[in-house]
Amino acid sequence: MRVIKEWLILYVFAGHLFLLAQESNNSSPVFQESNLSQFPKEVPARSTIDGTLNQAARKIKSNNLQERVGAAKLLGKYPGAQAGLLLIGALDDTSELVRRAALVSLVEHFNNGSPVYEQALAEKIFSKLADPDVEVRREVSALIPRLVPGLMRSGMERIQVNGRTVFRSIPGRLREDLQRIVENGLLDPDSIVRQNVLKHHYPLRIQINPQTFGKLLGDKDSAVLLIALDQLRMYATLPGILPKVESLTLHPDIGVRSKLAKVALSIGRSFPEYRKVLRKMTNDDEDEIATLAAVDLARLGEGVSPEMIERIIQYLSQSRGLYGKAENLFYSLSVLGRDASRIYQSLLKHPSASMRAKAWERHLSMQEGWNSPALWIPALEDRDLQVRETVLALVRGRVEKIGEDDLRLLIRHNQGDVRALAAELLLVADEEVVEECYFDLLIDDQSLVRSTTLRALANLRFKDWVILHSRSLNDDDYSIQRAAMDGLLTDRTMGVPELIEYVRKYPAERISSLAKIELQRIGINP
Amino acid sequence: MKFSLHLFLLICLSLTEARHTLFSLPDSLVSEVRIMQLRRDMVSRIRYPDALPSLLDLMNEQSSTKFDPDPLFIESLTDERLFENPILYINCDELPNFEFSVEENEALRRYMELGGFVYLDAGIKASFLGSDLGHSYAAWEERDEVREWFGQIFPEKSFTPLARNHEIFRTFYKGLPDNEYLRLEEDQKRLPDTVLTFVEQEKWPQGTYSLVGIKVKERLACLASPICAMGWGRDEFGAWIPPISFRVRESAENFDETLQVASFAGQTFEVTREDGLKDEIYLLPGQRPLWVKEPTGRWRIFKYYSGEEISNYAHSFYARLGMNVFLYALLN
Repeated sequence: MRVIKEWLILYVFAGHLFLLAQESNNSSPVFQESNLSQFPKEVPARSTIDGTLNQAARKIKSNNLQERVGAAKLLGKYPGAQAGLLLIGALDDTSELVRRAALVSLVEHFNNGSPVYEQALAEKIFSKLADPDVEVRREVSALIPRLVPGLMRSGMERIQVNGRTVFRSIPGRLREDLQRIVENGLLDPDSIVRQNVLKHHYPLRIQINPQTFGKLLGDKDSAVLLIALDQLRMYATLPGILPKVESLTLHPDIGVRSKLAKVALSIGRSFPEYRKVLRKMTNDDEDEIATLAAVDLARLGEGVSPEMIERIIQYLSQSRGLYGKAENLFYSLSVLGRDASRIYQSLLKHPSASMRAKAWERHLSMQEGWNSPALWIPALEDRDLQVRETVLALVRGRVEKIGEDDLRLLIRHNQGDVRALAAELLLVADEEVVEECYFDLLIDDQSLVRSTTLRALANLRFKDWVILHSRSLNDDDYSIQRAAMDGLLTDRTMGVPELIEYVRKYPAERISSLAKIELQRIGINP
Repeated sequence: MKFSLHLFLLICLSLTEARHTLFSLPDSLVSEVRIMQLRRDMVSRIRYPDALPSLLDLMNEQSSTKFDPDPLFIESLTDERLFENPILYINCDELPNFEFSVEENEALRRYMELGGFVYLDAGIKASFLGSDLGHSYAAWEERDEVREWFGQIFPEKSFTPLARNHEIFRTFYKGLPDNEYLRLEEDQKRLPDTVLTFVEQEKWPQGTYSLVGIKVKERLACLASPICAMGWGRDEFGAWIPPISFRVRESAENFDETLQVASFAGQTFEVTREDGLKDEIYLLPGQRPLWVKEPTGRWRIFKYYSGEEISNYAHSFYARLGMNVFLYALLN
C-alpha cells in the first residue's frame, strides 16, 4: 500500500513537471515565433444525448424565435420519445417557422425508425392539418399514411350487461373534429394538400360526400384530378358522379383523358353505364385517346370499326417507338383478333426497331408465317440486329420446308446469324437442294456457319459425310473440330472408328483429349 | 429561353450529316438519333427502367430533335454498334463492377476520339453513401471507381469540374423551373420558402449542377454527374416517378456552437466542394447525414423535405438538365 502511494506521488509530481515544461516552452520567445507555438485550438467536448436534449428543451421554450427554430431543427436528429414530445409541444408555437421546423423534424423521426403510435400524440400532429400555414399543412398531409396506425387504433371497453361485466372492442375511428378537418382538407386552397388528403382519405375511414367528390373531379389541378380518378370506383354509383366523369372526356389535358379511358375500362366491367364514357372517347380528336378507348371497348366485347383500325394504324405509325401509350396500345391489339393482323403488317417498316421487331413477331405468329419463307425472309433484310434476332428466334425450329431459291437467298445474306440459319435449314431441304448448297456454307468465313453445316450434314447422314467430318477434325478452328467430333460420335459403325483412328494418330491434338473422354463415355477405350 | 425550334432543327440536321461521316450511320437512321445504354447484366440491376425512355420521349415532345425512344442496349464496349451511334449513356450504379477489358477500354478511347460522347450518370457519388442507392450527394469529383477506370483509358487526362457558366447548362433550358413550367397556379407555392432559397442560391443556382468532365481534342467527350436518372421517369399519364426528396443545409442562431458540442457518436467523412475545399459530413450509421462542418468554420444541419411539390420540382430540374446534357452532346 505504501509503495503504491509513493508511486502515485511520483506520478503526480512528474505530471506537474511536464506541465511546467510545457508552459515554459510556450513562453519561450523562440517557440512563439514559429508556427509550432500555435497548439491546435481546443475542440469543445461533445455533450451527452441527455445534455443535448436538455439544452434543446430549454431553448425550444425560449423567448428568442431563432433559438426555438434552432432547437426544433436539432431535435430532429435525436429520434426518440423525449425529443418527439418536445417537438409535438412546439407544434403550437405562435411562429410558423417553429411549427414548420418541428414538423420537418418529426418527419425525420419517422424516417429514422421512431414513429408516433400514441393516439393522442398522433391526433395532435394530425390536427395541424388545419394550420393556417400552408407549409405546415403540406407536411402534415404528406405524413397522413404514417399517422394512420396511431390515429386509427382500436380499443376495448368494459360495460355492464344485465349486471354482468362484458368486454367489447371499439373499432378505430377518427375523432369528429378531425373528420371535419379532413373534409376541409379535401377542399384546401393548396393543391398539394388536396392531393394528399384525397389520396389518403380511405385509410382514415372517411366517406367523401358526392358534392365534394364532384368538385374534386372538376379540380383545376390535374394531379388532384388524376388521384380523384384513381378513387372513382368507390364513388362511381353516387348521384351526380357519372355526368361529371362524362364531362372529363373533353378535358384539355391528354394525360387526364388517357387516365379516364383506363379507369372507365376498369369500372365498365362492374358498372356497364360507364361504357358510354368509353364510347364517347372514341370520338376524341387525338388518335391516341380514341384508339385506346376503342381497344378498351373491344376488351369489353364490343366491335371495332374499320375506320378505327385505320386510326390505330395511323397512331402507331406516327409513334416514336414501342414505348409508353403506344406500347400499351400495341400489346392490347390482340383483343382485336384477326383484325389486328392488318395493323401489325402496317408496322413492319416502322422507324423504331423495337416496334418493327414486335410487329414482325406478331405478324408471323398470327399467320404461322414460318411455314412460308416468302413471309419471313424479308424480315431478315432488316438493318437492325434486334429485328433479325426476333425473327430468327421465331422461325428457328419451326420451318418445315425450304426451297433452293429461298435457301440461296439466306446463304448469300451478309449477316452470319442468317447464314447459320441457312445451315440449320439444310435439315428441311430436299436432298438435291442440300447437295447444291452445302458447299457454299462449308466455306463460309464464319466458323458458326461452318460448324452448323457440319452438324446438319451429320444429322442428314449426307453422302461422304464421314470423310468430311474426319477431315474437319484437322481444322484449325476448335468449334469445327468439335462439330466434326460430335457428328462422328453419332454413328458407331463408321463415325466412331474414324474418330478412334484420329485419336490414335494425333493424341496430342486439342480435340483428342475431349474425344477420348467422349469415347470412354460410350464404353470405348481408344 | 429556348432555341427557335426551326433553327434548332436545322442545326440538328446539319449535325446529323456531320456525324454521318464519323459514325457511318445507315441512311435510314440519319433522321433519328439512337442513344446507347451500357448494361452489363441485362436484367438484374435496372434501377430506373423508365428513366431514359421517358427523357427521350420528353426531348421528342419539347424539341425538334428526333431521338429513337428505345435506347439501344449494349453489353460490351466492343459491340460494333458502339461506333454507329454518337452518345453512350452509362448509369454507373447499374454496373456490377468497373472491370473492363483492355479491348473495351481501347474501343471506348477510340470512340471518344472519333467524336463519341459518354455520359456517366452516377459517375459522381460521395464515398459515404457506399452502396446505398436511395439517395445521392453532389460532390465535385468523380467517384473513385470512375477515376480508376478512366485512368486506364486516358492516363494523361483527368476529370475537371465544369464551370457554372458552362454552355451545357443553357443548351436548351436555362435556369430553374418556374410555376408556368411546373404547371402551377401563380399563387401556389413551388417549394417551402427555406428550400426554395437554398435551391436557388446553393443547390442548383441558375439551374446548374455539379458536373465533371474530360475533354478530348478540345471537346467535352465524357461527362460525369451525380445520379440524374432518378428524376427522368414518367408514368403513362405523364406523372413523375419515383418520388424524390431534398436534402437542404439549414442554419439557426448559434448553430456553430450548438453543433460542435451536440451529442454525436457516428463517423465523419470528407467531401470535395465546388471550390476544391472539403466539407466534413457527420453521419450516424443507418441514418441520413446529420450535419456538416464547412471549411469556413460554419456548421449547418441537414434537413430533409419530401412531398409532391418537392418531387415534381426535382424531376423537372433533372429532366431539364438531362435534356441539356443530351442536346449539348448532339450539338458539340
